[in-house]
Amino acid sequence: MERQGSPNKLLEIIINTVIYLFLASWTIIVVFPMLWVIVTSFKTDKEIFLSPWQLPAQLMWDNFVRALTKANIGLYLVNSLTVILPSIFFTLLFSAMAGYVLARYEFPGNRIIFYAFMGGMLFPVMLALVPLFFLLQSMKIIDTHFGLILVYIAYSLPFTVFFLTGFFKTIPSDLIEAAIIDGANNYQLFFLIVIPLAQNGLVSMGIFNFLGMWNQYILPLVLLTSSDKYVLSQGLAFLQHQQRYQSDWSGLFAAIVIVMLPTLIVYVIFQNQIQRGLTVGALKG
Amino acid sequence: MASVTFDHVSKRFGDVIAVNDLNLQIADKEFLVLVGPSGCGKTTALRCLAGLEEISDGRILIGDQVVNDVAPKDRDIAMVFQSYALYPHMSVYDNMAFGLKLRKVPKDEIKRRVGEAAKMLGIESLLDRKPRQLSGGQRQRVAVGRAIVREPKVFLFDEPLSNLDAKLRVETRTNISKLHQQLATTFIYVTHDQVEAMTMATRIAVINKGILQQIDTPQNLYDRPDNLFVAGFMGSPAMNFLKAKLDKADGKLYVDGGSFRVEVPADRNSVYAGYVGKQIILGVRPEDIYDPHYCPPGIFKQPVEGKVEVTELMGNEIFLYITTGEHNLVARVDPRTGARMGDRTQVAFNMNNMHLFDPDTERAIR
Repeated sequence: MERQGSPNKLLEIIINTVIYLFLASWTIIVVFPMLWVIVTSFKTDKEIFLSPWQLPAQLMWDNFVRALTKANIGLYLVNSLTVILPSIFFTLLFSAMAGYVLARYEFPGNRIIFYAFMGGMLFPVMLALVPLFFLLQSMKIIDTHFGLILVYIAYSLPFTVFFLTGFFKTIPSDLIEAAIIDGANNYQLFFLIVIPLAQNGLVSMGIFNFLGMWNQYILPLVLLTSSDKYVLSQGLAFLQHQQRYQSDWSGLFAAIVIVMLPTLIVYVIFQNQIQRGLTVGALKG
Repeated sequence: MASVTFDHVSKRFGDVIAVNDLNLQIADKEFLVLVGPSGCGKTTALRCLAGLEEISDGRILIGDQVVNDVAPKDRDIAMVFQSYALYPHMSVYDNMAFGLKLRKVPKDEIKRRVGEAAKMLGIESLLDRKPRQLSGGQRQRVAVGRAIVREPKVFLFDEPLSNLDAKLRVETRTNISKLHQQLATTFIYVTHDQVEAMTMATRIAVINKGILQQIDTPQNLYDRPDNLFVAGFMGSPAMNFLKAKLDKADGKLYVDGGSFRVEVPADRNSVYAGYVGKQIILGVRPEDIYDPHYCPPGIFKQPVEGKVEVTELMGNEIFLYITTGEHNLVARVDPRTGARMGDRTQVAFNMNNMHLFDPDTERAIR
């Protein structure tokens, strides 16, 4: 019996080894550049060029101070938050309202509206850049945070509505009916019962949209032209351009870490939530 | 005054008629149970009363008020759901207080009502907990408590015991009956379990395929079922139905089932006279079939022979599954019986409690 089992066991070991080797390689490919950037952000300019692969002799926290002040990363950080926080809030609010109605109410056009939202997910950002520019210009909100917020909301709505519609379908009808009998009107039902029940889905979508908006580059590049209004991704690109003349490479690396770290931390802390929230909504949709 | 009236109420879902011309009068303070198999329309009828479904035809009245177009929250009803429907993000206190807060009841009054209901149900120590921290029985009591604090005219229960284990179900049945006495309010209770119906109701309404079959007190329903469905639904094990022919000989009536022939008590002759020579269905409850050695005195007993296929020992009685010719029947006999599996045996039908049904109309012949 052992002899019969051996070839199968050996094959299993070989296959597992190949799989794990592949996964380990992929992990290194993905993680190594990030780690190198973080380590490099603590070096002096001289160390960056003379010993690029070694650890810094001492931790240069001054790099981060320069990035925040002289390189205006602090300003760009505030601008990013000014744009992203309201965008997420209103995306979630409008998506929750739309998703709830699409999930729980039968009316003519329900499916058409839902598919229209889904169609929005297929629309590439690049195609809309030029028309968006002229549209915002005609509305006199070009080069404003308000204009960018509106565009972020518009681009985030399709997927968020799609996800939350599936999520709202998982809410038991009994709970809603109990609230109706208790005396809740539609608004009370939505804000006091449905929204708290959809917390997991809303948090998942909030995190998902935060990650997307934080890293968004092409939209602010086109729609924000004044440097004092730049968001972080723009500011970083601007900084990278400046370094060709100022040679503050250590400051640049520190700026990259400042931009990268929030999304990294958010994902590490909430990864279970994100994966759980995404799959629950997807399965029930 | 909290009577409830269903006046020619129908509910259609597309081509499916879930409730078909339901006429029901429920008196103030009555405990009415709607019972029937799954999918018979009893829950739909309850939901129509609650206002969760719009009726297709007819009227529903609570007291003297027609409530067809009245929103659920304005019907002065409270409902206990099968799944309890407790708000998972709220504490027990907040669950019970939610309806009162929406109605802008003063805080002191809310506290008083919740406190009293919690005391009545023995859940005072649970008020700060969330539903996920409660057992099934505790959740069920909280759901009832949420209904009680509303002080409604009518309580609606939609199979509230289905999710409880057997022992807890028995205990909770008693508690609900006591609650009805304490609150002295109209209870309308939906269940598929005829034991719950028999033990709790002042009257039972039996529904099948959206149509009301019979409404009466539990004992009357059990003793005098109007049709085959009611006769077979009430009682466990179910009533035995034996296809036979009604014969007359020597001035006496006989039910001839081929493999058995039993005499009808003389006092029934005039009632059944019109069916002489016709096919009928004889209905005999298992508890009306005896081991002849252990018959109670004074009954009009008639012997029937057959073979015991299966015996089930219940402790206080034995179920005998007997075949006689083409007929199968169940008898609940004294545990001292000598009948064993495989034996040819003789049992005695108590013909005082016999039922005859018309095979075409399925109605009881009276």
